Amino acid sequence: MRSLLSLLLLIVPSVLVSAADYHEQLNLRPLPLSALLASFNFRANTSLADFEAHNFRLFPRSLGQILQYAGTRELHLRFTLGRWDAESWGTRPWDGTREGGTGVELWAWLDAETDEEADEKWLTLTNALSGLFCASLNFIDGTRTIRPVLSFQPEGDHPNSTLQSTRLLHGVLPHEVVCTENLTPFLKMLPCKGKAGIASLLDGHKLFDASFQSMAIDVRPICPSEGECVLQLEQTVDMVLDVDRSKRPHDNPIPRPPPGHDLICDITKPYHEPGDSCYPVDHLRGQDWTLSQIFGRTMKGTCPLTDAEVPPVCVHIPPTRDIFASEGAHEIKYSNDDSLRCYKIEQDQEFTLILTKTESSGGEVAPLGIVKPETPVLYAERSFTGHGQEHGGVQAILTNPGDDPVEFVYMESLPWFMRVYLHTLSARISASSPNVNTSSADIIKEIYYRPALDRARGTQLELLVSIPPHCTVFLTYDFEKSILRYTEYPPDANRGFDVAAAVITTLEPKVMNIRTTSLLLYLPTPDFSMPYNVIIFTSTTIALAFGGLYNILVRRMVGANEAPRAAFKDKFVGFIEKLKKKRAAASAGGSAKPAAANTEAK
Amino acid sequence: MSTTMTLQSKVGVFAGAALLRLVLFTAFPSLPDLLTGRVEISTPVTSFKRLQEGLFLYDHNVSPYDGGVFHQAPLLLPLFSLLPDVKTWPIFTALLYILVDLLSAYALLVIADSGEAGQSKHFTSPRRAKRSSGLLVAAAFLFNPYTIASCIGRSTSVFTNCAILFAIAKALSGSPFNSMVAISFASYLSMYPILLLPPLVLLAYDRQSEKRRIGSAIQFSLRAILIAATCISLLLAMSFALTGNSWDFLARTYGIQLTLSDLTPTVGLWWYFFIEIFDSFRAFFLAVFWLHLVIYVGGLSIRLRTQPLAVLTILLGIFAVFKPYPSIPDTSLFLAMLALFRHLYPIMRYTYVASATMLYATFLGPAFYHLWIYAGSGNANFFYAITLVWSLGQSLFVSDLTFAVLRDEWEVERPDMVGKEIRQI
Repeated sequence: MRSLLSLLLLIVPSVLVSAADYHEQLNLRPLPLSALLASFNFRANTSLADFEAHNFRLFPRSLGQILQYAGTRELHLRFTLGRWDAESWGTRPWDGTREGGTGVELWAWLDAETDEEADEKWLTLTNALSGLFCASLNFIDGTRTIRPVLSFQPEGDHPNSTLQSTRLLHGVLPHEVVCTENLTPFLKMLPCKGKAGIASLLDGHKLFDASFQSMAIDVRPICPSEGECVLQLEQTVDMVLDVDRSKRPHDNPIPRPPPGHDLICDITKPYHEPGDSCYPVDHLRGQDWTLSQIFGRTMKGTCPLTDAEVPPVCVHIPPTRDIFASEGAHEIKYSNDDSLRCYKIEQDQEFTLILTKTESSGGEVAPLGIVKPETPVLYAERSFTGHGQEHGGVQAILTNPGDDPVEFVYMESLPWFMRVYLHTLSARISASSPNVNTSSADIIKEIYYRPALDRARGTQLELLVSIPPHCTVFLTYDFEKSILRYTEYPPDANRGFDVAAAVITTLEPKVMNIRTTSLLLYLPTPDFSMPYNVIIFTSTTIALAFGGLYNILVRRMVGANEAPRAAFKDKFVGFIEKLKKKRAAASAGGSAKPAAANTEAK
Repeated sequence: MSTTMTLQSKVGVFAGAALLRLVLFTAFPSLPDLLTGRVEISTPVTSFKRLQEGLFLYDHNVSPYDGGVFHQAPLLLPLFSLLPDVKTWPIFTALLYILVDLLSAYALLVIADSGEAGQSKHFTSPRRAKRSSGLLVAAAFLFNPYTIASCIGRSTSVFTNCAILFAIAKALSGSPFNSMVAISFASYLSMYPILLLPPLVLLAYDRQSEKRRIGSAIQFSLRAILIAATCISLLLAMSFALTGNSWDFLARTYGIQLTLSDLTPTVGLWWYFFIEIFDSFRAFFLAVFWLHLVIYVGGLSIRLRTQPLAVLTILLGIFAVFKPYPSIPDTSLFLAMLALFRHLYPIMRYTYVASATMLYATFLGPAFYHLWIYAGSGNANFFYAITLVWSLGQSLFVSDLTFAVLRDEWEVERPDMVGKEIRQI
């Protein structure tokens, strides 16, 4: 009876708060040309007391137990593919805070008094997460782990006392290929498991066909000013779909040019001539799609656990465009933002959205029909310079397009076989910038550097950089490519080694993250096919040198005529002489015989 | 009259060599960096670029030994941080290297003029009349393209070479203490010169000055070893204090030579062997290669007891071939010492073959390296093959010199065999 009562007591409050503890939302934002950004966001809160009592409801038990076992205070895990094209797509979703570098990126604050303890817990965490997410996270070893100093700040609310006894570790696997086997466990962590709600739109074929795709898992404690602390699990999927590619029919997947009569031409071009030359303006007329076309399936109602107050689907599009929603959906418009439209959906009804083409009047080119993307605070790109497999350089081009100076932390986590020469680090401001006279010391304010140790740890480089308005800065440094033991090369050694993306965290004017693309480093390779030959050749050379010297040192010198004749040589010379004698005898006998015959004939 | 003549010509040779280097440094400002980047001249333990990186970290209060780039002795750091920055004032670094080269040449001059090569305490060569003059030896060293390249490439092994030459010169001039101090410096900088200690002690013992003579060989060598050990310990203790009270530098400077963890290509035999060796045999072969290097010291010192200078020369030749990170500066030191034995040239048998092989390797080495690393039309075997040829050619020189020394010795007891064909049984 008492146990039943306590059970009831446990259930009742959780049922009461459940409505507010989980919400999910899909934001659709058409981007220039045929790109469409879809941001899925799932957020679940569990009170810290419940979590510590192993009382998992919305929080997945599998992940919760790992976090408890590894003493993890805050966790961030990213699976990313592709490149965000900031030049045309503008600022990143969530200001870049929900994306990682290409591959897998993981950082966490672990409860640990010493660095050794942190390393142990980190090993536990990476190995457990590796199993949970079917990713090679267990390959995040000492050489791929760094301890960032400036770049990452905890997102959750931690009391100062606990923060002092935690360690931040950061690991990255740039070579990891993110694919459907990582999506399945991701969906399984959701309360509705991808069976209902916006998660039912997530299909591996479409997600991993996207131009850019990032899956993020964030676990952080949140302590509101009143009320108890909660542990928040936020799962985010951002994807930039190519609408044209998504709409390509399954039965005819090979793209073919449309026939001439289907082309929509820009007739304002001087060279336009019907049936002869045409400047296609199809993409200028804006996108048109339906939800089921771009995601490959329809949305199956809403998740029953989700907060009813939060509309599950929102579209960012100018109010002039027409959108039709399926029956039963309720459109909400906001007075403060007229380009935002959200839809409330019945719980068990299929939902679809249809965005229609803008109608162009006559030959006039229609406006883009999308919300213009915001200009980012900073553009960043990074590449290798130099040629050959001995020396190289890294060049990061950082552009501040705005009117305010930008201050940021530039962080690199480089593999140990890239021997960085920090004394060659320089920051050069481009000649076309207004403040050409700014020196390297004015740009790089602070350097935090931890050099690599062979086979033990990678290079960690953090720079505090400030760029004046409208300036481009070239950050360069040299490195040497080391040659490895032949067992240390991967089977595809001539493909090269992946170098993780640089992480840029802007501090001024606002906090946001940017990641460059990862790089492919081509190291010199030995000949993998001939270890035996090399061992034999080198040993022979050494044996020749040693044997020669040894002979000279230990043997006695005598005159050539005093030396006793070697037994073998005697035999050999005797044999040769015997042969010679035989031949001489044979030739003598041969010439004698005919003479004898002649005498007989006579 | 003749003394002023020789003095004049000495000044001429030294000034000419200094001027040549200075012109190369100043007229071709990109040449030093080009040569520094060459694997033939710079090895991981002698590279000037790595020294600069270590210096940068040292100046910015990051321990250079907490990283995988810098593998050179700690005392080089304060020495170079005293010099003005090499990027803005390259001339001061250049002057330092030129000075070190001239000092080495001076030491060679002293060694050659002592006549030890032809006449030691226990042995007088019948051919000693033909020995080379000190000036010629110094000029051969100073104008050797290998020496010039290592000077312009600013390899830190020129400091080791200078210390070794001074150790020999001091031993010859009868000051064993200075000699031991010099060899301690060399060993501290590069480790391998410690193996030169036995023949050097013998040389110093033979050439003691009459005033402070120690009769007992054991007593003398114990004293010498004690001096060297004290001096090395002092240097190591200074380094310990200099690197923030940590012994990390031992593993980074000497440990890397013992374990060969950095496999950057060199002209030697170790790098490719230890790239390709199976992991389970790595430790065994490291031990074998080091044992092979050490084993010559005892054998040569005993067999050629009467000629310690010849032992030193032969050992330097062996080290230039078989040490973990050999480079051109080591070869230039061996060739400089070889010039002391001009009276033995007529009885060397393979000088033509050996020098042709070395020339061949000198020209083809950079070409094959280019094919492998830059053009991509060759693979690592190209450069490996040429390092084999280089090593064979040089070891041929070494064994030929050994043969000539022994024959010269033998002809003292068999003067009738001069110029006749001989055999070894």
